[in-house]
Amino acid sequence: MKKILSLALTVCLLLGLGLTAAGADELTEFHTYALISAEVENFNVHYSQGARDSNVMTNLIDPLLTNDPKGALVPCAAKEWYSEDDGQTWTFILNDGMTWVDKDGAYKADVVANDWLTGLEWVLNFAKNDAANTSMPIEMLKGAGEYYEYTKALAESEGVEAAKALGLEKFLETVGISSPDEKTIVFTCVDKLPYFPTVTTYNGFYPVSAGLLEEIGVDGYKAVSWDNLWYSGLYTITSYVHENEKILTANPAYYNAANVKRFDNVVIKMVESPDVAFTLFQTGELDHVSLPQSTLNTIYNSESHEFHDYLTEMRPTKFSYQYHLVYDKKLENGEPDVNWNTAVANEAFRLSWYYGMDNTPVLARNNAINPLSCINYGYTANNVAVTSGGVDYTQLVRDELGLQYTDTYNRYDPEKGAAYKAQAIEELTAKGVTFPVEIDYYILGSNQTAKDTADTLSQVFSDCLGDDYVKLNIKTYVSNMSTEVRNPQLASIYINGWGADFGDPVNFVGQETYGEDNAYYSITYSKINNATDEELIATYKEFTKLVDDARAISDDLDARYAAFAKAEAYMIEHALVIPLYYMVEWQITSVNDYSKVYSAYGIQNYRYMNWETNSDLYTTEDYAGFAAAQ
Amino acid sequence: MIGIKARTGLSEKQLFDFAVFRFQDAERAGYSEYSYWKSVWRNFVKKKSAVVMLGVFFALFIFTFIAAVIGKYDVRSLRIVDSLMFTRPGREFWFGTDNLGRDYWAQVWHATRTSIILAVSVSAGQILLGVVIGMVWGYVRSLDRFFTELYNLIDNIPTIIYMTLIALMIGKSYTIMACAIIGFGWLATARNVRNLVFIYRDREYNLASRCLGTSLWRILTKNILPYLISVIILRLALAIPGTIAYETTLAYLGLMDISTPSLGILLRNARSYFLDYPYLLVIPASIVSVITVTFYLVGNAFSDACDPRNHV
Amino acid sequence: MLKYTLKRLLQSVFTVLLIVTIVFLLLRLMPTDYYFTEDELIKLTDQQKLDRLQAAGLLDHPFTQLGRFYRQLFTKLDLGTSRRVQVNKPVVDLIASKFSISMRLGLTALGISLFIGVALGVSQARFKNGALDHIGTAYTIFVNAVPHLVSYSLVLTFGARMLGLPSLYTMRKPGPSSILPIVCLAMGSIAGYMLWTRRYMVDELNKEYIRLAKLKGLSTGSIMFRHVLKNAFVPLAQYLPYSILLTVGGSLLVERFFSVPGMGPLLTDAISRYDTNLVQAIVMLYASLGIAGVFLGDILMTLIDPRIHLGGKEAAR
Repeated sequence: MKKILSLALTVCLLLGLGLTAAGADELTEFHTYALISAEVENFNVHYSQGARDSNVMTNLIDPLLTNDPKGALVPCAAKEWYSEDDGQTWTFILNDGMTWVDKDGAYKADVVANDWLTGLEWVLNFAKNDAANTSMPIEMLKGAGEYYEYTKALAESEGVEAAKALGLEKFLETVGISSPDEKTIVFTCVDKLPYFPTVTTYNGFYPVSAGLLEEIGVDGYKAVSWDNLWYSGLYTITSYVHENEKILTANPAYYNAANVKRFDNVVIKMVESPDVAFTLFQTGELDHVSLPQSTLNTIYNSESHEFHDYLTEMRPTKFSYQYHLVYDKKLENGEPDVNWNTAVANEAFRLSWYYGMDNTPVLARNNAINPLSCINYGYTANNVAVTSGGVDYTQLVRDELGLQYTDTYNRYDPEKGAAYKAQAIEELTAKGVTFPVEIDYYILGSNQTAKDTADTLSQVFSDCLGDDYVKLNIKTYVSNMSTEVRNPQLASIYINGWGADFGDPVNFVGQETYGEDNAYYSITYSKINNATDEELIATYKEFTKLVDDARAISDDLDARYAAFAKAEAYMIEHALVIPLYYMVEWQITSVNDYSKVYSAYGIQNYRYMNWETNSDLYTTEDYAGFAAAQ
Repeated sequence: MIGIKARTGLSEKQLFDFAVFRFQDAERAGYSEYSYWKSVWRNFVKKKSAVVMLGVFFALFIFTFIAAVIGKYDVRSLRIVDSLMFTRPGREFWFGTDNLGRDYWAQVWHATRTSIILAVSVSAGQILLGVVIGMVWGYVRSLDRFFTELYNLIDNIPTIIYMTLIALMIGKSYTIMACAIIGFGWLATARNVRNLVFIYRDREYNLASRCLGTSLWRILTKNILPYLISVIILRLALAIPGTIAYETTLAYLGLMDISTPSLGILLRNARSYFLDYPYLLVIPASIVSVITVTFYLVGNAFSDACDPRNHV
Repeated sequence: MLKYTLKRLLQSVFTVLLIVTIVFLLLRLMPTDYYFTEDELIKLTDQQKLDRLQAAGLLDHPFTQLGRFYRQLFTKLDLGTSRRVQVNKPVVDLIASKFSISMRLGLTALGISLFIGVALGVSQARFKNGALDHIGTAYTIFVNAVPHLVSYSLVLTFGARMLGLPSLYTMRKPGPSSILPIVCLAMGSIAGYMLWTRRYMVDELNKEYIRLAKLKGLSTGSIMFRHVLKNAFVPLAQYLPYSILLTVGGSLLVERFFSVPGMGPLLTDAISRYDTNLVQAIVMLYASLGIAGVFLGDILMTLIDPRIHLGGKEAAR
């Protein structure tokens, strides 16, 4: 049956190719899917903090800026932006002709600069937004933290209603934001922040019309739904059934409709699992599908399968994963795990992992066909920062390290690994460490994928480093990692990924510094500030100094990135954190991923705009071509 | 008339013996030594298919131990080999390999053993508790309201809340989940038993017993229980595969600890792969089916045999 | 009888309130980190988390929260708003939009499976050990042995690919897209009704009055339906009102699998997202329906079989 089908398909394809010179047509209606467990929870873009909501909201309201397929910032609601003082203040000028409409496209109000002020006031008001999405405004905008604390205190002393009733007066007094005229917004930052514009792609900096708040009230906007929301973006929602289906229709009043390519309709079906999605794809109800492991394996291994030539690799997701080492681990009885703490503080021990472990089996858990596409040699993710010459920041790091992506895992060097292992054994035995050193790794007890990865990891440790040297113990936690594992500091390593919040390497490298309060990973995971080993502390202090030096450069972005690259390379060369992988999965699709917005930060990646599509599926060669052209 | 004495020439003493009088003999009634359970067994054995099935089940259980010995790979030392993933059953891997290239034979038999032990213990516990409580509930009028409210209370709070809370706070290990399942599983049996007791409770023979002052426990076990046995046995027989199915649902919802594999977990994992690699599902499903079949047939046969009206 | 009904009704109301209180307090036992999504847990500091919880009123003592809840319920008949499933939507609206869908599917499936299941069960008992009996047994075993998710996947694959039926439930074409979900729902119920009908019928068939009826010359059909089924149905009848009322609850697996926007997955979603108001409202609904169902079942049982007496000690003989 399958053979006949594929034969027929080939004949049709050939005929088709013969009849039409170019490929098939573009799609006018796009059918996609999402997992039911990731259903939208709310339509208030300021309140939601998860990708599930943002992926839809990004199509409904336009932010100041958005990104292009290479990750660079491009105009969206703002047609130009600049800073005249090295990033202390930023000015944005809005486009003309933008309007707010309701779900059917009927006019409601004009989009004005005041909308962004209203939006930000909403975010920073404790009673209105319940402290959601406040971290980035508070971190970057002058006076934002004060305003937030003011509303919080007001809510506590005079009640929530008083805080809800606040308008813009107190806000404009305290916070560094103003709108000199209807089309201009000026932001004042806490410091010289060259990367501030990248933050405007995030939820916290989205607009809301004061007219909407008047129409439905503060409580109404807290509970806003698709049928009373005001839209200013590419699409409006014309149909929505919770956990079943939603339909986005092109916004008839979109100001830039002539210059962007949109679908007439986007139908998003909610499905229970990736397998159900694949069944839907096979019956033609979806235009793309991400392949679960077993299906991928079947299709790949069978030459005659109908989809064999259409397997395409996705672009890496925005997360960059590493082995995070814990420098202050405790045992279950609360006592410090001296054996582990001493071992991990030793640089030779860590370097034996860096050089001695062939992580390919772990990479294969993501991508069994082509594990090496998942290799990650650095700490920062792709497309976070690009030099003026068009070179991605991660390339700078790789140049510093002397590593490049080839078709082997060329960080892996078994001889060096063995040499460091011998050195570590010698140095550590002198300090009284017993071998094998036990590594405690915690996974969620009911998650089969995590268990598979953990089993693979255990085998990698065993094969590459030896059971006489280290031993991985797979332990489980019941439901909540922070209370059961992180707070009591029971784990030896974590495998974690971080996605950028804004477009600057400080967002990554700055999380691992020594002695700084906002270094998130240091405080919550590695607990480096509690370490006692002097060599380790000295190495960290050197690293922190390099980071701080880089951070201080705000006038010349290229120099700034080069300095950060040095700091990051230093961190990796001393194996303070060990890089691991990116997530690259396989799919069958009618969409050219290289024409989509691709940004490492912000919520813009799901905008259905300017997509190149093909009603026949793209083949593996097509995609290889697109990737090479990047 | 010539007497016997004259006819035979024997004396009185020779002609007559005193009859031996034993008190117990006077008490004996009925036509045979009727033992209820012996009769049940005899009836059960008459159904050859059921006996065969019982044998099959025990053979299966014992085989789980043997399989570990004759298998090529030890379940504790399975290696992950990506190049071998999803190999179909063949000479090297008798049941093929799973998604990590590990031998499936060892995993399946180990899981079967775990599942059978869990299912049997849980079902036995559930039924025992359910029957005892159900009988008391149905019979003792004054307790009916109390038990009904208790039942309403426990039954109407969705079990999922309890299971989630227990899984989140106490743990997901096997013993805990087994106790939790027993702790909420007795309800259904108790209600069923209570309904049946209701039906038989006011029959005349029970009125008679009550009039005669028979103790509660004796009435329950001797008068009412025999009517319930066939239903109880059937419930027990079905509870065993039912526990395995429930286990699969719990695994699907993420409430089971997967470090000890069981058939439910294997089935849940196989579900994502089975359209492409059906053997991953067919093998554990067949074992579950065999268990279900054996228990169903054995249960049905035993249940038929337990009905005293079939004993004649 | 009337006194009994009233007494039981009052008690039921009390039980429902007791149930809701217990659930309320049980939910407060769950760790508060469940309130946040995975992304939030990574990005929020502890202080921010505490702020969010405080804003939602979750940091107060459980009894204070309980008091607040009851006050709101009795004075304004307001069950609160959902906090995670559909943010800030009143739970009553949320439930109302979903339960009619579940009920419709459930009642259709119940009707079909009752009819077919009982009919097949009766035939099985009638032709005991015949071909039909064995086929029926095989079907019951298949349905019980294969896990639900697997049977649903099979139904989906064959239905969608071979028969071309729509794979997901859609509100635009509720009729055709309900077929596969109803088939899945009915599959298991048919097996259940078949099995228990057969069991109870066989038990009845062994009784003396049936032998007498046969001796008297009554036709098998009339014996089966007029005498045996009526008696055998009594234990089944107990569950009937309960089953009908609880179709509102929907089936978790079926609804999730076919993306039916019904009540089924709602409870588990609400629990795992710590959406306390929604959980309480759903529990209240199910509890009331469940208790009403059991009560109606008892009444139904007495109606069919006059030998059964409800009531307390006074009704005892």
